[in-house]
Amino acid sequence: MRIDYRIEHPVALHASFEVAGFTVLLGASGEGKTLLLSAIAGLIAARGEPFDGLPPQQRAVGYLPQGHALFPHLRAWENVAFSLRGARRREQAMQWLERVGMAGLAERWPASLSGGQQQRVALARALARRPSLLLLDEPTSALDPVTRDEVLAELIAEVHQAGIPALAVSHDPALAAVADRLVLMHGRRIVQIGTPEAVHAQPASGAVARLLGLRNVQRGRIVGAPGAQRLSWPEADASLRVETALPDGTAVDWHVPPAAVRLHDPAAAPGDAIAASFELRQTSPHRNYLGMRCGKARLWVEPPAGYELPAAPMLSLPPDAIRCWPVEEHA
Amino acid sequence: MTPAADPTRYRPGLSALPAALALLLLATPFVGLLLATDWRHFGFAHGDGGAVRVSLGYSLIALLPIVALGTPLAWWLARHRVRGQWLVDALLLVSLLTPPLAMGLLLASMYGPYGPAGHLLERAGLLLTNSAPAFILAQFYAALPYYVMAARTAFEGVPRELEQIALTLGYSPWRSFVHVSLPLARLGLAAAVALAWVRALGEFGAVLIVAYYPQGIPVKLWVNLQDIGLDAVYPLLWVFFAAALPLPLALGMAVRRRLS
Repeated sequence: MRIDYRIEHPVALHASFEVAGFTVLLGASGEGKTLLLSAIAGLIAARGEPFDGLPPQQRAVGYLPQGHALFPHLRAWENVAFSLRGARRREQAMQWLERVGMAGLAERWPASLSGGQQQRVALARALARRPSLLLLDEPTSALDPVTRDEVLAELIAEVHQAGIPALAVSHDPALAAVADRLVLMHGRRIVQIGTPEAVHAQPASGAVARLLGLRNVQRGRIVGAPGAQRLSWPEADASLRVETALPDGTAVDWHVPPAAVRLHDPAAAPGDAIAASFELRQTSPHRNYLGMRCGKARLWVEPPAGYELPAAPMLSLPPDAIRCWPVEEHA
Repeated sequence: MTPAADPTRYRPGLSALPAALALLLLATPFVGLLLATDWRHFGFAHGDGGAVRVSLGYSLIALLPIVALGTPLAWWLARHRVRGQWLVDALLLVSLLTPPLAMGLLLASMYGPYGPAGHLLERAGLLLTNSAPAFILAQFYAALPYYVMAARTAFEGVPRELEQIALTLGYSPWRSFVHVSLPLARLGLAAAVALAWVRALGEFGAVLIVAYYPQGIPVKLWVNLQDIGLDAVYPLLWVFFAAALPLPLALGMAVRRRLS
């Protein structure tokens, strides 16, 4: 489904992209993402397709706002039955609750449900309206971090099962990682569209890299012509070897993957290694990171397993691992 | 072993003193009533029964236009911001602020037989002086601003998002109002109705000017005092409390129960 909306107030915003499967619109806070959903749902004045000019009650959207917005005066099944009519509305509501695995809690009041349970009831309520498009506002924001991935997996499975295109807006890279399609927004503009694999492989800019949650996105400036270039990194007061086609003096966002950063003992460090001091260790079941302080900046390093950190470590950044994106000076 | 003091338990401490004093001051006039009532010769003056019927009956009738017209206004005020809104707010405040006697005079000058509105209405057969409609008119003006203020606050407490969700679920704005806004504001609206009831029933000044007849309880209290004396006031006052209190008390208790 093609979304093409133009908003004038309270901020000017134009967004045009395709929603297919579970599509995530990733953008920082204040980009107007919620506003875009409100516009599509017809809750604020805006022009665009689909549903142009229709009042909200005639737009076939299933809207799941942040915090789920269940009606507190209605039980779970009554929330789901809200858009249903006729004698069989309770029966139908129970079927929807069954689908999202919530039939056992049908008689509960919303306040007694967990964030994930509320979300499933809200999804059932939205699906019961038989929408042609699902709109989800920050679906991961109200979830318990421990169960989040599971709840998210179920949500996406249910969306796929329903076979309805879904547009989720979020600033959460974890949600972006599970999308079928990713739309990135920066400066109130769409800056990149693609599958998560494609976007992760080639982020279009430093802003996109930051939105994707990449570690080690820094600011710098290219010094010298292609072939004999260095990257000036003022925050660490360092100069790094790089290989780019960018002209001398270009201001850049640059990134180096934590796994590519080499740690050295001072005695064996290459000539242009940067002095660093250990700041913190981040240990998770999947990865271990070291947070290293370089001047005013922090660089994340993913050391090899069992690595012993020397007392005064030095860091080197392989030129072919550094990716640079030019930035506009005022940005 | 003595149980450890629960640090989270509220200890009344110093705040209990002024609170108790406030309660005592509130209770004092009614203790006075209790003491002053001549319980052995408890009896009613001529016409007291009629006054009770007039007060209760017309106050109930007055609640209908107050709720029917005040609720949409309160909702509109809670949900819309328009240029010149301060004028509406000022109008409500002036209505609250006007001394009841002055309000009666204003009503008489507008709806009385020589007033522009009164003149027209009288030709249409509606007499708004010393009549049942005049009585209800005075109560309406006395209670409406209180009801609107309280109902507006009740509607402002309803999350707008829930009304919008109802729209996205296919409800018209009217159905969203009936099925979402009204039920969610019901506790505050109950309090507003109770407040309007108390105001309408107890109104003296405005009623005195535009509807000396038919006599409701407040005016009859005044008449009893003038014609008979203090002793004829107390029995009617007891009846007034007995008649006026149950509705707001029950509504208030329902609200407290719901909140606790």
